[in-house]
Amino acid sequence: MGYTLAEKILAAHTEDGKADAGDIIDAAVDFLMVHEVLGSRIIPVLEEMNFEKVWDPSRVLVVNDHWAPAPNAESALIHMKNREFVREQGIKHFGDVECGICHQVLAEQGLVVPGNLIIGSDSHSTTYGAFNAFSTGLAATDSALILATGRIWLRVPESLRFDVTGNLSRRVMSKDLILSIIKELGTDGANYQSMEFHGPTIDEMTVGSRMTICNMSVEAGAKSCIMPINKQVKDWLGERAREREWTAITPDDEAMYIDRITIDLSEDPIEPMVSLPHSPANGEAVSEIDSIEIDQAFIGSCTNGRFEDLKIAADIVRGKKIHRGVRLVVTPASRDTYLAALREGFIETLIEAGAIVTNSTCGACVGGHLGVLGPGEVCVSSSNRNFRGRMGHPDSLVYLASPATVAASALKGVITDPREV
Amino acid sequence: MLNLFNDIKGKARVFGDDINTDQIIQGRYLTLLDYKAMAEHTFEIVRPDFVEIVEQGDIVVAARNFGSGSSREEAPMVLKQVGISCVIAESFARIFYRNAFNIGLPALIVPEITKHVSEGQELHVDLVQGTVLIDETNMELKGSCVPQRMLDLLTAGGAVAWFKQQIS
Repeated sequence: MGYTLAEKILAAHTEDGKADAGDIIDAAVDFLMVHEVLGSRIIPVLEEMNFEKVWDPSRVLVVNDHWAPAPNAESALIHMKNREFVREQGIKHFGDVECGICHQVLAEQGLVVPGNLIIGSDSHSTTYGAFNAFSTGLAATDSALILATGRIWLRVPESLRFDVTGNLSRRVMSKDLILSIIKELGTDGANYQSMEFHGPTIDEMTVGSRMTICNMSVEAGAKSCIMPINKQVKDWLGERAREREWTAITPDDEAMYIDRITIDLSEDPIEPMVSLPHSPANGEAVSEIDSIEIDQAFIGSCTNGRFEDLKIAADIVRGKKIHRGVRLVVTPASRDTYLAALREGFIETLIEAGAIVTNSTCGACVGGHLGVLGPGEVCVSSSNRNFRGRMGHPDSLVYLASPATVAASALKGVITDPREV
Repeated sequence: MLNLFNDIKGKARVFGDDINTDQIIQGRYLTLLDYKAMAEHTFEIVRPDFVEIVEQGDIVVAARNFGSGSSREEAPMVLKQVGISCVIAESFARIFYRNAFNIGLPALIVPEITKHVSEGQELHVDLVQGTVLIDETNMELKGSCVPQRMLDLLTAGGAVAWFKQQIS
């Protein structure tokens, strides 16, 4: 009898040390991340509970990221409520409107280490699995209960194992890999399950590329997505979580998986992918689709707004001009990402090519501000969801792709294979 | 208390596959603090006239993967606000399923239900047995029983009420 990564991490958070797939467990949470949903929805639930004090103010991150800085009075009020809560409760970790997107900020601040159980009030909280943690998204009521007790009940998920070998070729990114996997699984193919990623391809990936995969696993319905650590994660933790103690978790050889999927990129290479409206599972190779004219190209979000994403975009547009009539909106995932890209000259390169570079926020990805689409407009986006109306008008169309494909498309005015520019 | 959940009656409002949380309530309305105002936009994208036709007690019937996408609790909340008594789907995205019970909205999984139920048909739902009776055709469909943990939440009146019971 052996255990998966999900089972092992969850078992370490129960009183009796047990967590077999299918069990309902009561677990102690290591860390909670909440964003604007604190001010809008969690605080009213806490009031209903006659709540007084956060179980542990050092284990909570509050972020104002979705509508940052506030584009209207409603979101401004929510931000004010969050600031007041942080002050009153003595919350140790707070990222106000200048800091960027919650998932990137949590990782950059060294708030996730291997073996952690982290809950976020956001479906993309699966992102932290890139750091060998069990993390998942829940909503207001569950977040309120955690704020009060530090505990949560969970059903231990079955695990779906992926072993990936071979290299991603030039200008093919981890986004293309996860879009091709979601195409195969469908939007509910991993519902209730934990995806577990192994293999040399994953071991050699940058932290950012790993985060992209774990982030998008929820688009196949996954509850969590966990990877063993690699050198890049160790280096990251050495730099950002130096004072914290942790132990890397590996699955047992005899662990039970609901299924095992082997992907050999040297035998079946993956091409740049694009997910057609209105589902992340509508993936096609860019080379296979008809010419699609675009109005906007968006590089940003918790999925693909990181340093390496801005770098590849800058490399593609360097010395060129984006297509007339196309808006290239670039939203770095965090202030730190923005600064690092600025120092490397990527921001200057992007602006010279014609891009609009915004502050760090969820912004256009949630149709909040800084790049909302009008009726009939077409956007190719490095974000995670192309649901109808997600980025603005219900009749707008969103195509999901890698930052490389988005940058190449901005140059050509049509969705373009980045290997062709 | 359980007899509250063994005969939920209402008219079916039928939807297809992959009704995600943005189709239930779009992200741009999430800054509205008043649920009543937010609920005016329920299903706005997929069925713009929904809030005009929906009646107290109606039952949402959907195909696969209902409630996928965002973790927003506003999705089940607006359904409850407009008077939906129960959501039946062929499958649910996990966060929506959990959120629904947390706020006291029953959710039931019934395979292939959209093949048998048409818009407006009167349904009788028994959450404890996991069955749905279609009035017009007298056909009974068998779904998954609602797990005890979820029935406990419903019986208490949602997760907050359940929590209060636990600590008292």
